[in-house]
Amino acid sequence: MDIRTVVGECLEMWRNPYPYLARLREEGERPVAFFCSYTPEEILHAAGLTPVRLMGAVRTITHADAHLQSYCCSLARTDLDMALAGELDYLEGAVFVQTCDTMMRLSDIWRRNTSFPFHGDLVLPIRMGEEVSLPFLVEEIRIFRQKVEEFIGRSIWDDALEESIHVYNRNRRLADRLYRLRREKPGARDGLTATACLVAGFWMRRERHNELLHQLLEDAEGREAVETDRLPLLVSGSVCATPDLYELLAELDAEVVDDDLCCGHRYFDAYTDESISPEEALARRMWERVNCPAKHQCLENRADRLMRQVGDSGARGVVFFLQSFCEPHLFDIPYLRNRLQEELGVPSLVLESELQSFSRGQLRTRLQAFLETIRGV
Amino acid sequence: MSNGDERREEMEKEEKERRRIKSGAAMRELMTKYYMEAKAAEGTERHIAWITSGGPVEPLIAFDVIPVYPENHGAMCGAAHMNVELCEVAESRGFSRDLCSYARGDIGSAITKGGPIGGLPRPTFLVACNNICNTVFKWYEELSRFFDVPLFVFDTPFVRGELPPHHLKYARAQMEEYISFLERITGREYDEAHFVEVAARSLTASGLWAEILACNESRPAPMTCFDAFILMAPIVTLRGTQEVVDFYQGLLGEMRERVEQGIGILPSEKYRLLWDNIPVWYEMRNLGRLFMELEACLVADTYTSAWTFQGVETEDPLEAMAAIYTEVYLNINLERMAEKIESLARRFEVDGMVMHSNRSCKPYSLGQYDLAKEFTRRTGKPALIIEADHTDSRWYNRAEVEGRIRDFVENLLGQGATV
Ligand code: SF4
Ligand code: SF4
Repeated sequence: MDIRTVVGECLEMWRNPYPYLARLREEGERPVAFFCSYTPEEILHAAGLTPVRLMGAVRTITHADAHLQSYCCSLARTDLDMALAGELDYLEGAVFVQTCDTMMRLSDIWRRNTSFPFHGDLVLPIRMGEEVSLPFLVEEIRIFRQKVEEFIGRSIWDDALEESIHVYNRNRRLADRLYRLRREKPGARDGLTATACLVAGFWMRRERHNELLHQLLEDAEGREAVETDRLPLLVSGSVCATPDLYELLAELDAEVVDDDLCCGHRYFDAYTDESISPEEALARRMWERVNCPAKHQCLENRADRLMRQVGDSGARGVVFFLQSFCEPHLFDIPYLRNRLQEELGVPSLVLESELQSFSRGQLRTRLQAFLETIRGV
Repeated sequence: MSNGDERREEMEKEEKERRRIKSGAAMRELMTKYYMEAKAAEGTERHIAWITSGGPVEPLIAFDVIPVYPENHGAMCGAAHMNVELCEVAESRGFSRDLCSYARGDIGSAITKGGPIGGLPRPTFLVACNNICNTVFKWYEELSRFFDVPLFVFDTPFVRGELPPHHLKYARAQMEEYISFLERITGREYDEAHFVEVAARSLTASGLWAEILACNESRPAPMTCFDAFILMAPIVTLRGTQEVVDFYQGLLGEMRERVEQGIGILPSEKYRLLWDNIPVWYEMRNLGRLFMELEACLVADTYTSAWTFQGVETEDPLEAMAAIYTEVYLNINLERMAEKIESLARRFEVDGMVMHSNRSCKPYSLGQYDLAKEFTRRTGKPALIIEADHTDSRWYNRAEVEGRIRDFVENLLGQGATV
């Protein structure tokens, strides 16, 4: 496939991954859904299952309202709605990682009201990066592995798991290269298509995604850098269920030079150590990686990390893109915005998304106004 | 006014006085003294720690630290109808209106020293335990930045089913860390014997509290859970001290007497209801009046019973505390919550349940729709869900809520309520 077709397909997937997921099943894969970037996908992968990510959908809620209040984030609501409507029946099940209070309760609600063959829970500590929590995390991973083994009816061999860890590490290396390239060779691959190609990996087997990223990198590396006068921005937040934000920014002549998204840079941060036992290695990676706001601490404080990223990428503004009602993210906003302004003089904009009442027009107006203030027009 | 009217009024007054809970005064005294002492300690050598309501307070008491509870203060601000303005202060600093209103109000009060008692005394350190929610550690991170003081996070991962051993180990390890943290901050040494004493008093108080709540099993109920919401302040804030044990001994005596003499809290108790979630603090009076008028007594609730810790069979006091604090009501899965609700419903022989869907509190509220259904399935009794927020009255629609409560109670008869 030529690169334009590949990129086009990734964009299409980002807009609506669900037909692709259904097709995965037809192709003989056994998809298991996950929501959170802390999921140890390697274990599922090694078990012959295909982890796929649910990131919400733009839709009207019909079934989930009987189970979730309206003050719950739209990721939880729309994902549950699809499941209850029977639109996700091709899934083997889902894995719930405890990050926020919403996910913690959603797991029970999901389990009680659906009948997928597999239901996985992973309870994470919130104290990441501190000695005291590591043994707990290793044990959770071990129990999770057991649960998956029970489900597939056989054990997952260590060498299979090591192989999967290798595949995922390779994926992270490729993603990292893609991000670096965006910075070092502007114009070779823009933020919209690079992110689309990264996100598309959530809906295919990792090996295939590695090939795809490889092809993309080869293409981009062969291109010349082009100077652009697009306004450099950084996007921070949870997940972008659709490419709209990125598309609008591109239309408005801005370029996303880096991100702090859990479907972006935070997803592939840190590698799994291939020289120690796989369970401990998986635990350690989660424990060391840049933390999500639902976690306390970590080796590098999230705010410091964001300052560094903004400084390094040369972003002149930060767009926070969050889900309405998302407490962990919303709590950090005042502090992060203050630090950006005071330390770096970088202005920021907060956008909240509610997928059940998504309006591209409104988004555009707010972005336009923000870009105008930065440009000083 | 005719003589007859006067006499009737006189009798009504007497009757009201007879029904009034007398220990309320002792409690107000206790709480006033506590807040005065805490405020007086500001800026002195004494350490003041802000701690979450579900946090292990016993080590603080053992180290002679004054514990201060922003949630209790938040309830107070809510009841005094002052929390909205405090929330607005936080909102003007960029905190979203969708964050828990205890947190918003507390941040607002930290900034302006606002509220009925002129704000809380400045902490010298902070303790956050996420057994009630994950909001608290985000909130306390903010406090820690604001006051520039250390924060200890006591992490109690969510429990599904039985308490797994690695959870207990993790909590136990943090208990030790907590103790070392306190040694470092206060410059004192850990005295296990003293700690055990404090823990024992805490368990005694919580046992008394459980007995007090159990008095409501009788008909008529000697108090409503709205009274319990107020009377629980000492168990939340001061458990581990002797004063609290004394106070609850007194209260238990009063409750038993009421039971013996058949003194109910309502003039007439026709229905018995279970309440779920944190009170709607700014509406307690109105809702109390409404339930009284409807002759419906809120005899039990899931909130106040969260402070009835069961003793744990172990020689190791730190482990016992670790286990208690990990398995609190909000930190368990829906099935276990349903069991607790069902057991309350049976013990207190309720005719139905009123659930406060509390916009502020996701761990308490998400899942209520399923719990309501489960409650009805298990007990055959109806459940009502009302929408509100515990201290942000801007989300509250009184007419609608009261109308729904009225309809609900009026329909109870048709649904097999035993009158
Ligand atoms: S968007 Fe926020 S509230 Fe929703 S699931 Fe993610 S972390 Fe939780
Ligand atoms: S979210 Fe709920 S448990 Fe947490 S502080 Fe607010 S009211 Fe309390």
